[in-house]
Amino acid sequence: MLPRLLWKSLRGRRSRVALAGGALAVAAALAAALLSVALDISEKVARELRAFGANITVVPRQESLEVEIGGLRYAAAAQAAYLAEVDLPKLKTIFWGHNIQGFAPFLSAPVEAGGRQVLLVGTWFDREVVLPQGPRKFSFSSGNVREPESEGSRFRTGLRAIAPWWRVRGRWVEDLPGDAMVGKAVAARLGVAPGDRVPVRASGTERTFRVTGLIETGGPEEDQLFVDLAAAQALLGLPGKVDRVQVSALVKPDDVLAMRGRRNPQGLPPEEYERWYCSPYIDAITYQIEEAIPRARAKAVRQVAEAEGAFLGRLTLTLVLVSAIAIATAGLGVMATMTTTVMERRREIGLMKAIGAEPRQIARQFLLEAALCGVAGGGLGTVIGLLLAKFIGRQVFQVPIAPSPIVVPFVLALAVLVALLGAALPTWRAARLEPATTLKGD
Amino acid sequence: MHEIIRLQSLSKVFPGPVVALDRVSLAIPQGEWMAVMGASGSGKSTLLNLLGCLDRPTEGQILMGGTSIGELTEAQLTGFRRETVGLIFQQFHLVPYLSAVENVMLAQYFHSLADEAEASEALARVGLADRLRHRPAQLSGGEQQRVCIARALVNQPKILLADEPTGNLDEANERVVMDIFQQLHDDGHTIVMVTHDPHVGMLADRRIELEHGRLVTIHTHDLVAAAPRTADQS
Ligand SMILES: Nc1ncnc2c1ncn2[C@@H]1O[C@H](COP(=O)(O)OP(=O)(O)OP(=O)(O)O)[C@@H](O)[C@H]1O
Ligand SMILES: [Mg+2]
Repeated sequence: MLPRLLWKSLRGRRSRVALAGGALAVAAALAAALLSVALDISEKVARELRAFGANITVVPRQESLEVEIGGLRYAAAAQAAYLAEVDLPKLKTIFWGHNIQGFAPFLSAPVEAGGRQVLLVGTWFDREVVLPQGPRKFSFSSGNVREPESEGSRFRTGLRAIAPWWRVRGRWVEDLPGDAMVGKAVAARLGVAPGDRVPVRASGTERTFRVTGLIETGGPEEDQLFVDLAAAQALLGLPGKVDRVQVSALVKPDDVLAMRGRRNPQGLPPEEYERWYCSPYIDAITYQIEEAIPRARAKAVRQVAEAEGAFLGRLTLTLVLVSAIAIATAGLGVMATMTTTVMERRREIGLMKAIGAEPRQIARQFLLEAALCGVAGGGLGTVIGLLLAKFIGRQVFQVPIAPSPIVVPFVLALAVLVALLGAALPTWRAARLEPATTLKGD
Repeated sequence: MHEIIRLQSLSKVFPGPVVALDRVSLAIPQGEWMAVMGASGSGKSTLLNLLGCLDRPTEGQILMGGTSIGELTEAQLTGFRRETVGLIFQQFHLVPYLSAVENVMLAQYFHSLADEAEASEALARVGLADRLRHRPAQLSGGEQQRVCIARALVNQPKILLADEPTGNLDEANERVVMDIFQQLHDDGHTIVMVTHDPHVGMLADRRIELEHGRLVTIHTHDLVAAAPRTADQS
């Protein structure tokens, strides 16, 4: 009888049930969508954030002293140690090579340009790199052999890839040896504009560059003159040399294991070492870079990583809070509907009690009705929410969002819980109604 | 005859205070059909609610089949009501989203076990064998009241309590419903029925009259029948 009673009751009061179920469906949809996004988007947003500057700096090991964040090194070229340009593609062959979003080499030295001292910086602007070999296999002392993800043998990178946010008046250099980009401050000092020519002299050689664009970054780049790496190497007499590489890597926020691995990874027990090595912590990546490139010292620019981690944390928190508010609102909606329902069904409740229903039988019916609303509304909402997540992923983040399997049971359980909580107070009141007074009058 | 209900100086005072019942003492033998009459507000429904265990007296005692109602807990009272009384109301009080047979089954469900065949049979007894699947909104007032009677009867209660069962019915339907009560009476059911209607009252074995909560007169059927039918002409 109880299933029949519930079924008839829900069917007989379709509009009320639709209202309560609808409120639950909306909340469940929002919760499912936002949770899917929150669970899956971190990585995607992290990828986008990586566009805002490198988070690893690679320098020659001998002078691992002060490296300015975002700035360039003012050291005399002759005294400095160098990395070899040919080693750079190896960055993509480390275990987490897949997470290396971009890198750019730099060779810098003060030169004379247009009769004034400026800092010349040679770099790759937009370069296609041929990777040295297929994905390597990594074996661990546990006997595990892991194969990193492969993504083809070619890779486009350069300054444009790691600093796409630079504002450039004119246009970017397209790796033509005779082109240059000048910082805003340099341009003002030399009085040049895009299209003008600038003569540059260093250690007796001279070469004229054509200015394609002015750089505005608000940083030290505005005081620099950017040219193709090969041209700089030729001017400075340092063929094949690089004094710094900036790397943009997708990393996982530090956690306990990351902290433990930071000091001395090899001191970790083998199993933990393997787990550490195979997590894209920024330190694991710098460690792997040092393994791959001879005489390299890779330093994490931790502020950037931490700021990103904090931002992602806040993004997730925001999504979770919005979901919570949506769910609370639905709970109030259910409570309002249930309260109205109890008012409308006073007579029915009174009658049931008069013909022998006990308070807990009344309560059971009302709570089961609410739970069924929760299941139906929650189920519908979850489906809508997952579609919504797909839509948000495509429209907002331009990536597909994979529905996380835990979202479905979680949101369903939540919908039922909210329905029950919303129904609790009205049900309690319903169960306590006095049959004698409720049955009286019309 | 064996006495099934005994009221001892029963009073009910509502907050106000309104004295709805004032020291009513009464005994009802098993199988009797008793009509409760009196002006509006005289306490008829209050009395019936007390008999139906829907309410508790302020003072006095109700003994039903040897059980003193006043001493029961809330849960025991519910159980006692389920076992002992069948209630029929003026406003029918059917569950709107359930069919006729389901309304009857609901009483079985709260009592023990829903049994559709038995519920259908109860409806057949009141002449509704062909209306089992209709919802209350699809039934006439008389038919709805017959569903209520079937519901009140289905658990074989010792006592039938009816509060103006024909108050909302026209004459034709009133006759049908009263025939059913007559039949129930002939079958030996104890019936307490509130009514305004002297015709209806006259079908009973006995009429009592309340005035401002007091029991003022008790007529036996024979006395009324013998008396000039003044009430009829008014
Ligand atoms: N819950 C209550 N609270 C306060 N007063 C009440 C309550 N129920 C009934 N009364 C009062 O008790 C008195 C008796 O009411 P009752 O319903 O028993 O009258 P009745 O004889 O059934 O009248 P009617 O023929 O109009 O149905 C009335 O004065 C009524 O106002
Ligand atoms: Mg009344």
